[in-house]
Amino acid sequence: MKKSKFLALLLALAMTFTLTACGNKDSAGDTSAPPAETSGDVTDSSDTGDGQQAEDSDLAYVKDKGTLIVGITEFEPMDYQDASGNWIGFDADLAKAFAESLGVNAEFQVIDWDSKVMELNGKTIDVVWNGMTLTDEVKSSMECSNPYFNNAQVIIVPADKAAEITDAESAKDLAFAVEIGSAGKQQADANSFNYTEVADQATALLEVSSGTADAAIIDYLMAAAMTGEGTSYENLTFTASLNSEEYGVGFRKGSDLATALNEFFASAYADGTMQNIADTYNIGDMLVKQ
Amino acid sequence: MFLTVIGALNEGFVQTLKLFLITLVGAIPLGLVVSFGSMSRFSLLRGVTRTFVWIIRGTPLLLQLYIVFYIPGMVMKGGSPWPGGETGRFIASAVTFVVNYSCYFSEIYRGGIQGVPVGQQEAGLVLGMTKRQVFFKITLLQMVKRIVPPMSNEIITLVKDTSIARIISLQEVIWAGAAFMKGSHGYSGLMWPLFFTGAYFLLFNGGLTLLFGWVEKKLDYFR
Repeated sequence: MKKSKFLALLLALAMTFTLTACGNKDSAGDTSAPPAETSGDVTDSSDTGDGQQAEDSDLAYVKDKGTLIVGITEFEPMDYQDASGNWIGFDADLAKAFAESLGVNAEFQVIDWDSKVMELNGKTIDVVWNGMTLTDEVKSSMECSNPYFNNAQVIIVPADKAAEITDAESAKDLAFAVEIGSAGKQQADANSFNYTEVADQATALLEVSSGTADAAIIDYLMAAAMTGEGTSYENLTFTASLNSEEYGVGFRKGSDLATALNEFFASAYADGTMQNIADTYNIGDMLVKQ
Repeated sequence: MFLTVIGALNEGFVQTLKLFLITLVGAIPLGLVVSFGSMSRFSLLRGVTRTFVWIIRGTPLLLQLYIVFYIPGMVMKGGSPWPGGETGRFIASAVTFVVNYSCYFSEIYRGGIQGVPVGQQEAGLVLGMTKRQVFFKITLLQMVKRIVPPMSNEIITLVKDTSIARIISLQEVIWAGAAFMKGSHGYSGLMWPLFFTGAYFLLFNGGLTLLFGWVEKKLDYFR
């Protein structure tokens, strides 16, 4: 009887050990990751024989498993669900076409936008494709495609203040809310605005709406979809554009999928596929020539 | 619009409930195993268990979710071990929550077990019971009664903690509510669904409170 209790304790010990062991390996993994990456780069640079280096190629990895997992957030008109729950939108349709050109299935996964780089590196998604502005931060943490779409950062203010706020200069004294790490935050920095960082663009709008911030800086596309009639933000509007910028698609650092996508963009632009998809969502005039 | 939102929130709340129930089913027994470890006569086992409990209780659940879900895919060749889609996120959350809560439960159990007066066990031994009988028929029985209030505290916290899993994009009820701010199911810029999720938590925790009150009463046949 005593023995069986012993056994139970031993099992418990073994369990705790395996768990802690995992923990240790995890933290060691952070340091061991870079060398693995460099070895991948070495094989990449000897790019002549493609059969051998297949296991280090991201393209081969995706083709092998047969699915391209597209990391998105629900963001009309780029990625959103139709009435029957299928993902549609300019980005979603384009991603499906790209996946088809690779001979794989596109699978859409809604992610927390803050975790996009971790999702890529953890291989829980293969690509971030969700109206992503190409900032220096984005370019340094992901392998980015060529720009394919134009966008701007605009100032959101209560509708009754809109007449006073016409440009960056007139907005100088306002307290802003911006999404953490966003292109809007960069604009706030560039104009040396006084701002608070919040979790996402929707929260930034909420701040303005509840009066905890005077104004917010968000994407033009998002501003167009979320303010004005038919939304909870009927009292908000967008005024001055602070810049113009470009959208791109992000892959794991060093991934050869970026090159594959650029080739796809070139051919899809040439044969009018991209223009058609963009026109479907009434954003055809914002397309970037490939 | 109201029905669409409620439908989406219900879907999210099913995920919340699933995570809650699986965590309870996993962590209640595992916590007992961990509490044995932390009360063991063998100093090595005791030390290891207590260090483990210290690490799990000493770091944010949020961080643990990140580590459990993302690190394996970064370290292992051939991609993430978690299944794709929502399933993988759910399993990763469940594993993290079970381990995390079993550590908290283990300390509650330890308090409950050690709080039973030694005289009770001695009396059992004098009556000729084996140590095993003493544990199951005397100590464990009285422990269960003693731990009901602290356990109800921890379990109600668990209901609300499930919302932390949204950090790895588990689409539980808060996620479903917040999605309407940005745009979901054809509606965007809606704020009230997020705040409305509070009603789900309130109702469910109200039910739990009643349940625990009832359990406590049922166990009131001895002091």
